[in-house]
Amino acid sequence: MEQEILRVEKITKKFPGVVALDQVSFSVKKGEVHALVGENGAGKSTLMKILAGALQPDEGTIYLKGQEVTIHHTQHARELGISIIYQEFNLLPDLSVAQNIFLGREKVGKGPLLNYRAMVQEAQELLHQLGAEISPYALVRELGVAQQQQVEIAKALSVNADVVIMDEPTASLGEHEVQKLFQIITSLKNRGVTVIYISHRLEEIFTITDSVTVLKDGKCMGTYPVRELDEMKLVKLMVGRTFSETFPPRSGEKGEVVLEIKNLSLPPVLREINLTVRRGEIVGLFGLVGAGRTELAKTIFGVYPHYQGHIAVRGKMLKLNSCRRAIFHGISYVPEDRKEEGLCLELSVKENSALPILDRFKQTLLLSDRAMETTVQRLVESLRIKTPSLRQRVKFLSGGNQQKVVLAKWLATEPQLIIFDEPTRGIDVGAKAEIYQIMRELANQGNGILMISSELPEILGLSDRIYVMYQGRVVREFTSPENVTEEEIMVYATGLSKV
Amino acid sequence: MKISFLHRHRSVLGIYGLLIGFLVLSSFLSPQFRTSYNIFNLFRQAVAYGLLSIGQTIAILSAGIDLSVGSLVSLTACLTSGIMVGNPHLVVPIILFILALGIGVGAGNGLLITKLRVPPFIATLATSAFLQGAVLLYTKKPVGGVTRGFMFFANGQLGMIPFALIFWIAMIVLFLFLLQKTSLGLHIYAVGGNREVARLSGVNLFKTIMMVYILSAGMAALTGLFIASRLGIGDPLIGQGMELESITAVLMGGTTFAGGKGGLIGTVAGVLIISLINNILNLMNVQGFWQWIIKGVIVVVVVAFYREKE
Repeated sequence: MEQEILRVEKITKKFPGVVALDQVSFSVKKGEVHALVGENGAGKSTLMKILAGALQPDEGTIYLKGQEVTIHHTQHARELGISIIYQEFNLLPDLSVAQNIFLGREKVGKGPLLNYRAMVQEAQELLHQLGAEISPYALVRELGVAQQQQVEIAKALSVNADVVIMDEPTASLGEHEVQKLFQIITSLKNRGVTVIYISHRLEEIFTITDSVTVLKDGKCMGTYPVRELDEMKLVKLMVGRTFSETFPPRSGEKGEVVLEIKNLSLPPVLREINLTVRRGEIVGLFGLVGAGRTELAKTIFGVYPHYQGHIAVRGKMLKLNSCRRAIFHGISYVPEDRKEEGLCLELSVKENSALPILDRFKQTLLLSDRAMETTVQRLVESLRIKTPSLRQRVKFLSGGNQQKVVLAKWLATEPQLIIFDEPTRGIDVGAKAEIYQIMRELANQGNGILMISSELPEILGLSDRIYVMYQGRVVREFTSPENVTEEEIMVYATGLSKV
Repeated sequence: MKISFLHRHRSVLGIYGLLIGFLVLSSFLSPQFRTSYNIFNLFRQAVAYGLLSIGQTIAILSAGIDLSVGSLVSLTACLTSGIMVGNPHLVVPIILFILALGIGVGAGNGLLITKLRVPPFIATLATSAFLQGAVLLYTKKPVGGVTRGFMFFANGQLGMIPFALIFWIAMIVLFLFLLQKTSLGLHIYAVGGNREVARLSGVNLFKTIMMVYILSAGMAALTGLFIASRLGIGDPLIGQGMELESITAVLMGGTTFAGGKGGLIGTVAGVLIISLINNILNLMNVQGFWQWIIKGVIVVVVVAFYREKE
C-alpha cells in the first residue's frame, strides 16, 4: 500500500502574464484516493492537463512507478496507464456504450471486420465489475449523466489504467448517484487502482479520500493525510493570502434599487433566488464553478426566457425574454468569455463598440461614420484603450484592451445595471487594477453593478455587499465585507455550512 | 483614408495581383485577347456571375450558403421570356413580378432557416430541387422571347461601354454601401463572425438572416432577368451549376465559409478571374474537359493560398 506510484517534482508552467504552476511537487501512493483541491484558478486543471499529456511543463519532472517519464500527448498518457475523466464527458452520443468504450482501439477479428462480439463481451465485463447496470448496446444518448460517467470510468479502465484522474466527478450528480460513485471508487481502490480526485466540495474529500494535496495560486501548499485535517484547517490552506492588489476605496452613497429579484428559479440550475442591487453599489456574487452564477446573470440578461419568479428593474416588473429587451431596459452583461461571447474578433474596435446601438447612428439610410467615431473615440479615451486606430481589428489587441472594448460596447448603451462575469479573467495585474478602478467609477456615477467572481480577494476587496451561491441557491448574504474573511465565504461556497 | 482603405483590404491585394498576372499572361498567349471587343465581351460574360455572386457573398458572410440560386435563375429566366413573348407591353410588370418572386423565394429560405431551424445548406438545397422541378413543370425546352427594348439590358451599349457592365458596377457600389455603411451590413458581419456575440449584443437574428436570403434570392432573380435579356429566350437548365460557380467566386475572393470575414471587393476579383480563365481558354480553343480540369486546379491553389496565410 505504501508504494509510490506517481511523483511530480518542481513542475512549473507559465502562460503569458500568469504563472499557472510554480514549482509544484507532490507524491501519490499506489492504491490511494488522493484529493487535489484549490480555488478556481489555483492550477488544478493545468496540473491535470500536464498529467494527461495535453500540456507540456516548462520545468520539472514526472516520475511514474519510480521512472522518469515525459508524457508527449494524451494517447501517450493512456499508454502509460494514466486515464482522465473530464467534467465534460468525451463520449459520442449516437454510438453505443461498447463502441464508445473501444473508440480508437476497436478490436479487429480475422480480416478487416470488427470483432463486435468481443467488444460487447469485454464492455459487459467492465461494467459488471463497476456494478453498473448498463447494456453495452445502449446508445450513450439514452443514458443519464451518472450512467454516462460510469461508461467513462469503464472506458478509462479498459486501457488497464493504474491511475484514474477524476475532475469534479460529482458536479452533475444527485445525492444517490454520488453514493454509487463512491462505491465504485472504493472498489477501484481495492483493486489497486489509484484515483486522483479533483473537487471543491470539501465534505466529499473527507468522505472518500485518503490524502489531500492543496494548490493555491499555482503553488503547492503541501500534502496531508485526511485524518490529520479538519474542515477549517483545509479551508485555511486553500485561501488565506496577503493582499497583493489595491482596490479603490468604497463610497457610502447608495441610491434606489436598480435590480430586484424575487424567487427566481430556472430548473434545474437556479432555485428560489432573491437578491437586490442598488445604484452606486458593487454587489459581489461568489460561487465555485457550477454554482449557477453565469446562469443567473444570463437569466437577468434575457437569455433564458423560461425562468420562473420576478425580475424588476428600477421598480418595474419585466418579462425578460430577449437580450434586446434587457438592453433596452438598461441592463448590460460583460461576459466571462470575451472571445466567445463578447467580441467579433474579425471586426474593428469601432464596429464592436457600436454593435448594440447601431441604429442610433442612422442618418436616413446610411450610418454616420463620423457620429460613430465620435462616440467610440470618447469611450476609447475614457477607458484608456490602447489601440493604434478605431479601425484596428480587435483580435490584434491584448487581453486587457479587449476586455475594455467589451466594456466600451456596453457603456455605449448607457446602462443602469452592469453585470460583470469574471471581469478580470485572463488579464494581467496592471490591467486588473484599471478594471477595478473603472468599475468603482461606474458605481460612483450611479450605476448598479453585479460582479460575478471566483477570486476571493476581488470579491472581498471591491464589493459593497456579497452574496454566496452554492448549487443553484444564494446561501448567504454578507452586508459588510470589511468584516468577512475568505474562510467564512469559502465555508458557504463549498457547502460545508448549509443555512 | 486611402492608406487605411488599402490596409483594411490588404488581404484582397493578393487576389488582385493574381488577376493582373492572368491578364498579362493572357495578352501574351492570345493576340485576340487584347482587342477591346474581347475585353468588353469578357465583362459582359462576367456580369451574370457577378450579379449572382453579390448575393452569394452576403449568404456566405452570414456563415450561411445559398444553393437555391441556380434553379432560381433558370425559373426566373424562363418565366421572363415565357410571359413576355405574348405580352410585349408588360415588360415593367414582368420585371416587378420576377423580382417579387425572388424576394418570396428568399423569404421562404429565410423562414426555413430561422423558424424551422433547418441548416442553410439543406434548406436551400431543398428549395433548389423544388424550383428545378417547378421550372421543368413549366417547360422542358427553351421557351419564349423578349422585346428589343428588354434586350438592351444585357446587350446594349452606352457609347463604347456595355450597359450591363455599368449596371454591374452600380450594383457593386450599392451593395458595398449596404455592407459597410448600414446597420444591416454590420449585423450580417456580426452574425457570421459570432452568432452568440451578435445575439448578446441585441442584434435581431431573425431579421438579419431573413434579409440575407431575401437579398441573395433577389440577386438571383435579377440574374435570371439578365440572362433572359442576353439570350432572348428562357432555358430551363441555364442556371444549372451557377450556384457552385458563384460559391467558387466568393471563396476565391477570400470570404471564408466560417463567415464574418471577407467581402464584395474580393468576390469581384474572383468573378473576373473565373471569367478570364473561361475567356482565354475559349480563345485558345482548349477543349471543354481541359477547361474544367484547369479551373479546378486554380480554385484549389487560390483557396489553399488563403489558408496558408491564416
